Amino acid sequence: MPVFKDSEQMYDCIGAVLDFLRQDPKASAAFRKSGLVIRFKYSDPDGEITIDGSQDPIALTCGPADRKPTVDMTMSADTAHQFWLGKLNLVAALNRGAMTAKGPIPAIMKLLPAITPAYKQYPEILRAKGLGHLI
Amino acid sequence: MALPQLFEFYVRPRILYGPGSVREIGFEAGKLACTRAVIVTDKVLHEAGLAEKVIDGLAGSEVTVGGIFDDVPPNSEVQVVERGAEFAAGAGCDLLIALGGGSVMDTAKGMNVLLSEGGGLLDYEGAGLITRPLRPFIAIPTTAGTGSEVTIAAVIRDEAQGLKLEFNSPFMMPDLAILDPELTVSLPPGLTAATGMDALTHAIESVISTGSQPLSDALATGAIKLIAANLRQAVTQGDDLEARGSMLLAANMAGIAFSNALLGIVHAMAHPCGGRYGVPHGIANSILLPYGMEYNLPACADRLAEVAAVLGVDTRGMEDETAALAGIAAVRRLAADCGLPARLSEVGVPRDGLAQLAADSQGDAMMMTNPLYAGEEEVLALYEAAY
Repeated sequence: MPVFKDSEQMYDCIGAVLDFLRQDPKASAAFRKSGLVIRFKYSDPDGEITIDGSQDPIALTCGPADRKPTVDMTMSADTAHQFWLGKLNLVAALNRGAMTAKGPIPAIMKLLPAITPAYKQYPEILRAKGLGHLI
Repeated sequence: MALPQLFEFYVRPRILYGPGSVREIGFEAGKLACTRAVIVTDKVLHEAGLAEKVIDGLAGSEVTVGGIFDDVPPNSEVQVVERGAEFAAGAGCDLLIALGGGSVMDTAKGMNVLLSEGGGLLDYEGAGLITRPLRPFIAIPTTAGTGSEVTIAAVIRDEAQGLKLEFNSPFMMPDLAILDPELTVSLPPGLTAATGMDALTHAIESVISTGSQPLSDALATGAIKLIAANLRQAVTQGDDLEARGSMLLAANMAGIAFSNALLGIVHAMAHPCGGRYGVPHGIANSILLPYGMEYNLPACADRLAEVAAVLGVDTRGMEDETAALAGIAAVRRLAADCGLPARLSEVGVPRDGLAQLAADSQGDAMMMTNPLYAGEEEVLALYEAAY
């Protein structure tokens, strides 16, 4: 059974952690420096979220966006959930096909140190939404 | 070492080893049900007559040679791959044979993607984007270092963007790797030393990687033993087939190990040295390896003590940390005995470029599996120490 009951709940949780990063000074500086437009395409439930580091301030769109992504990350919503809980090795997930990444992998990797604060924040976000049982 | 909760281990490709084993290529190509091969190589190897050995090996088999693509530069490029794929398609190729070092192997991997799947190479930049088997592909390494004949990755430079692009998929692995030490005897001592230290770096970083596991460990430690016992001889007596063969096997084993366990800080620091200042990859690894081991010592003294033992250090009665330090000293001795430089200042890296190198290292995927976190500040201190 999928972690999220529907796309709306997925947007609410995953969107919130990305919004946290958008507002975090270190993470937002890293996104801006990268200039990447990253589209996360989720399945089960289906949805997509785009974070656009080419704009100032950084734009976050839950649902289809009209920007052309520089990076497309494709995964199940469960995989995304595991990732933000800090329980997923990104490289192993890419090698095992749990995720695909279309675009410049080194540029994506460069963002990883900047997004680590979100691993602590995500469980807090879930708890605040009454979804602590998903942790 | 505690077993990881979940790991996988790629065992492709099949490997054929032996002096003169390239003569078996006709029989092997026939088993892949192919009829028309294109050989991918570089001009130096072509002119040295190595491609002729492949053609001779195919003689009498059902496989004809559709052409030789020898336009591969030392660092391959997107346009070269695309041109090569067009050449192979025009030749009616249903089998690619890569004969060369890492650049040739990576070019052939990229060509195979385009030949099998169509489109432009940039369509496949990334990981996991190829989802089905490609055309048959045989790899014949002529250096003992990169292990590219057994890895899932290809690195190709895009001149237009000024960047090295990564392509990752298990489907890019060859179907067969032929390890023929006779093809490596003409490798000059300097290149033998640098590529050998590259293989040693693959093996040692595999052992201490956070992605290490028992299967990769077995191959990595086996590779370290072979390198410690044979690299000096391969450098000083290039026609020693036993030493050459051992080094080919070691590079291959280390390649399988790191393709599964991944690498660490030494590679993350070596890549920018090559990208910014053209330092050959093996030489950058050789210089930085002892510093990377020292940095990681607090996190994995036990693993580094194991490395020391397989390097041939008598570690009996030693504490892990003491043994690890003795192992690091053994690595330094090996590089020095092989005549390799020990400092970044000796290989054209300017001191005022170190900060930029440290920044570049932060974007390297290999940093993720290093046993200790290393930010820009820590990496800069290591570059300074190695300068």
